[in-house]
Amino acid sequence: MAFDLFNPTETHLTFRQMIRQFVEREVEPQAEAHDHGEQFNQGLFRKLGELGLHGVTVPERFGGSGMDAVAAVIAHEELAASDPGFCLAYLAHSMLFVNNLAINGNDEQRQRFLPGACDGTLIGGMCMSEPDAGTDVMGMSTTAKKDGDDYILNGRKMWITNGAISDTDLGDVFLVYAHTGEKHQRSISLFLVEKGMEGFSLGQKIKGKLGMRASTTAELVFEDVRVPSKNLVGLEGGAVKSMMRNLALERLTLAAMSLGIARRCVEIMNSYAQDRKAFGQPLNRFGQIQRHIAESYAEYMAGRSYVYQVAQNLALDAYGQRIDSDGVKLYCSVMAKNVADRAIQTLGGYGYVSEYKVERLWRDAKLLEIGGGTIEAHQKNMTRDLTGLEKLL
Amino acid sequence: MKILTTVKRVTDPDMKVKIKPDGSGIVTDGVEYKMNSFDEYGVEEAIKLKEAHGGEVVVVSVGPKAATKEIRTALAMGADRGILIETDEDLDSDAVARLLAEVVKAEAPEVVLMGKQAVDSDRNQAGQMLASYLGYPQATFAYSLEVADGWATVGREVDGGTSTKRVKLPAIVTADLRLNEPRYASLPGIIKAKRKPLDTKSPSDLGVDITNKVNVLKFEAPPARAAGQIVDSVDALIEKLRDEAKAL
Repeated sequence: MAFDLFNPTETHLTFRQMIRQFVEREVEPQAEAHDHGEQFNQGLFRKLGELGLHGVTVPERFGGSGMDAVAAVIAHEELAASDPGFCLAYLAHSMLFVNNLAINGNDEQRQRFLPGACDGTLIGGMCMSEPDAGTDVMGMSTTAKKDGDDYILNGRKMWITNGAISDTDLGDVFLVYAHTGEKHQRSISLFLVEKGMEGFSLGQKIKGKLGMRASTTAELVFEDVRVPSKNLVGLEGGAVKSMMRNLALERLTLAAMSLGIARRCVEIMNSYAQDRKAFGQPLNRFGQIQRHIAESYAEYMAGRSYVYQVAQNLALDAYGQRIDSDGVKLYCSVMAKNVADRAIQTLGGYGYVSEYKVERLWRDAKLLEIGGGTIEAHQKNMTRDLTGLEKLL
Repeated sequence: MKILTTVKRVTDPDMKVKIKPDGSGIVTDGVEYKMNSFDEYGVEEAIKLKEAHGGEVVVVSVGPKAATKEIRTALAMGADRGILIETDEDLDSDAVARLLAEVVKAEAPEVVLMGKQAVDSDRNQAGQMLASYLGYPQATFAYSLEVADGWATVGREVDGGTSTKRVKLPAIVTADLRLNEPRYASLPGIIKAKRKPLDTKSPSDLGVDITNKVNVLKFEAPPARAAGQIVDSVDALIEKLRDEAKAL
């Protein structure tokens, strides 16, 4: 068989086809309505659990499927080709919570949360950003003070995907970063905070988002939340490494979402430009349109090759893979937004309305230049990591 | 209970079919291949029979090496082992039936479940021919299936309604699309499928001469449909149907 970077094994290929079939039958028909209504589709989210998608990277003994970063990329690429908003909720749960705990938690914590999180009965998320600290992540001001056997958490977390599952209900369980000492790199710790803990509440479900409206975004409030020590993930003050490890996979899968968006936009503009005629011939006979289509395809394939090359080499439990996990997201997020923009331009008036889907994809694509690291954060990180590198081998 | 089910690798039925300029076949560049959708119903029903009665589901495909993917999909849904009869030839239904007959003789299943037809060629022949070569009873176009005491009761979709047929096992049953709702191959299922046995045989291993008896001479697109017309009254419609369309 020919070398296939995007489906390195038959298992990956079968997995991709299974998701694609599921997406065509069950995700695509609900996408527009959930975007329009700013609603998270909890029933569909459960179905992802039945298919084994939530635990894609989790060892089989904790209810997962034990697959690799490539499989995670395939899942995100395929879901985002239809419904990026829904896919973002999937990512926040399966990558930021499930994979994070699978890699960084202890066996007792994994046993307690992963089976439910893998089958989709528990909905999880991760809390890093705050109202006043985003890219400057070490500037976070949430604190956890030791009190006997417990920690007392205080602070606010912002832009938390899956923070709320409806206008009034919290998600079930969150991995929350907080300082356990004077503000310093080595004072960041990670805690499991559960719905129902006293003092943990929904500040607001954020409304009026430009895109990604099928996922919920919330501000979460922690007021003297008593968290038992058994909910401390990893060592006190040792969470920066686990944060970095998980950020690499987060950025890779966000880049995979951009690929799904770009692919769909190329498909839509390519087919529209064959069917629609102007001045007696199909649009794709015009040089201006050819440029939109051909450049979009080439950029999509360049991004896709970069993402799969990095995925192939990303060890889920390793640390220090930042240049390229930032690089794929820097390139693909901008690429997908540009491709979606050209798709709208190619479709003209039809591109500007919801029926042809590219306006939704364009709105969703924009978020990927901001969430999970702004493109400016990627530029900062990458330049710092490149400083002192004399040759690129 | 041993159940044998068949899967065919077909071109994606949702794509726009393009015919090669010389009419020798359809263009397959950039075309996705899938399991024939009627076979999905057959596989699902086979797995349900196993879940109800115990036993084993053997999934068989006649096709190119790449058809192992469709077999693996059936294994991921819950079938137990696979057999690929590998050939790159485009076979007629008769050759497929004769190949399958040899496999059925060797495996001796109680029920053979097939899709009623393949969505690529839409020939709707292999199941009937297989029953005939084996001398087995057949129940085609099944929308329901119950198996008990060595007999199968099959609800069938027929022109103008439904009929119910009882056939003695072993028998051939072909699936229609209201038979069940096929499950997805879950990711854990896909991973388990990797470890399930899959044998490859050639037509000559089975001693079958696969020379086609029916040859396709030419593919042609149906004539393009003329644009519709909007009429402003029933009288105008009747007039057009009578005078232009000659339909009345």
